[in-house]
Amino acid sequence: MRAVRVALADPVPDGLAGELAKRLFFVSSAIAEFDLVAAGGVITGVDLVLSGDESESAIAAKIGKVVTAEVLTQRALPPRQVWRSAISVESFTDPFPLLLAADSAFVAGEGQVGFGEPVLSLVDYLDERLRSIALALPRSREFRYPTLLPTSVLDRFGYFGSFPQFAMFVTRLHNDIDVYNGFVDRYRAAGRLPDDLFDQCGDKEYCLPPTMCYHTYHQYTGRRLADEMVVTARGKSFRYESRYHTSMERLWDFTIREIVFLGGESFATECRDSVMAQAYALLEELGLAGHCEVANDPFFGNPDTAGKILSQRMLELKFELRVPVAEDRTIAVGSFNLHGQFFGESFDITGSDAAPVASGCVGFGLERLAYAFLCQHGTDPAGWPTSVTDRIGDPGAARP
Amino acid sequence: MGAEGKARIREFILDNITETELADDDDIFERGLVRSMFVMQLVVFVEQEFGVQVTGDDLRFEHFRSVDRVDELVARKLAAV
Repeated sequence: MRAVRVALADPVPDGLAGELAKRLFFVSSAIAEFDLVAAGGVITGVDLVLSGDESESAIAAKIGKVVTAEVLTQRALPPRQVWRSAISVESFTDPFPLLLAADSAFVAGEGQVGFGEPVLSLVDYLDERLRSIALALPRSREFRYPTLLPTSVLDRFGYFGSFPQFAMFVTRLHNDIDVYNGFVDRYRAAGRLPDDLFDQCGDKEYCLPPTMCYHTYHQYTGRRLADEMVVTARGKSFRYESRYHTSMERLWDFTIREIVFLGGESFATECRDSVMAQAYALLEELGLAGHCEVANDPFFGNPDTAGKILSQRMLELKFELRVPVAEDRTIAVGSFNLHGQFFGESFDITGSDAAPVASGCVGFGLERLAYAFLCQHGTDPAGWPTSVTDRIGDPGAARP
Repeated sequence: MGAEGKARIREFILDNITETELADDDDIFERGLVRSMFVMQLVVFVEQEFGVQVTGDDLRFEHFRSVDRVDELVARKLAAV
């Protein structure tokens, strides 16, 4: 490991510091840790801890490229909150060490956490509440989707061009007896997987879904909908979050309860607004502090990044429900999105008038929501609001 | 601003769309002449062409919907300089 300071050729305004910070781990896998160097209200450099052999100058050049193309081109819009919970937090718990010590959570890998009681009952309860909100919407139905998603689905609307950093592909040894024989011979001789394993895994038809709504657009591809409708699904979702993964706050492998609205613009907007209002009420019922604000998707690695972020924020197409997990930190537990006719056009989904439908979607990160709840209420159900414990009974505290 | 400023704005938009005619009150986004991302190019154009800074509350979509709206924004910014 090496510690180096990289000076930025052009300073980054303080208002864009977050945009720089959320990109650095994707700039190079050699960056193990970083700190922004602030002076006079701007970011002038980055302190890095580097692993591997990649030269400092090469990494500095990559950072410079991202700063120039994707950070300095952005326009910082003033934050806009549209709702704030009436509840304030008196103190926070850091629940993750407690959950690990009590065998209530298990780190299975990078950004991968297994969990048991009491988190299990809490997650299921939160999901049941959100599912009820979804199923009460007009012409609502629920689906359970397979985990794998055809890569062609993401390809169809340019996902890989907007979020290349998140994509997680699924492959296998190519089905050919010569490939299997060659692989087994080498595996037995070396006692380990070969370094060129992926040369024998050319198949790339499937990936892991970054969220659930893409399954829904896939489902209705080329269909003419007789009526406006709502689809809800819960499922495992996957995003490569590099070293940004943190406890149960930010996972590579997590669960989303998603609600998709397909119909006219006003239908999508009304459904989204209805879910927002009910989510606010649920947050307060759960005794949680939090707020909702205008947000943007984490576009990365493409020349349109700044334009996409600016237009998304100016049109207020995305809102995030953010919940504090510590004195100085909030996490997004849900997002509320409108897409116009983008997905209707991309997937040829039409309405009764034969025109592409508008869509919107709402997604809740169940582990995150549960984790934020534990940060504010602690890991012992005895300290949880009775509105929750009355419904789920006693799942048993996290006990060593 | 006046006719000359509007002409510069109109010329920039026409350079970026396939249509050859544009009324000053045409909503270029609602008419589907450009994608929403085009707003970024408009912001940069206004700043460079007219030497003004477009920040904070100026960054509202309604200021960029038509030649007329952009012209009003530029006039307001120049008056404040």
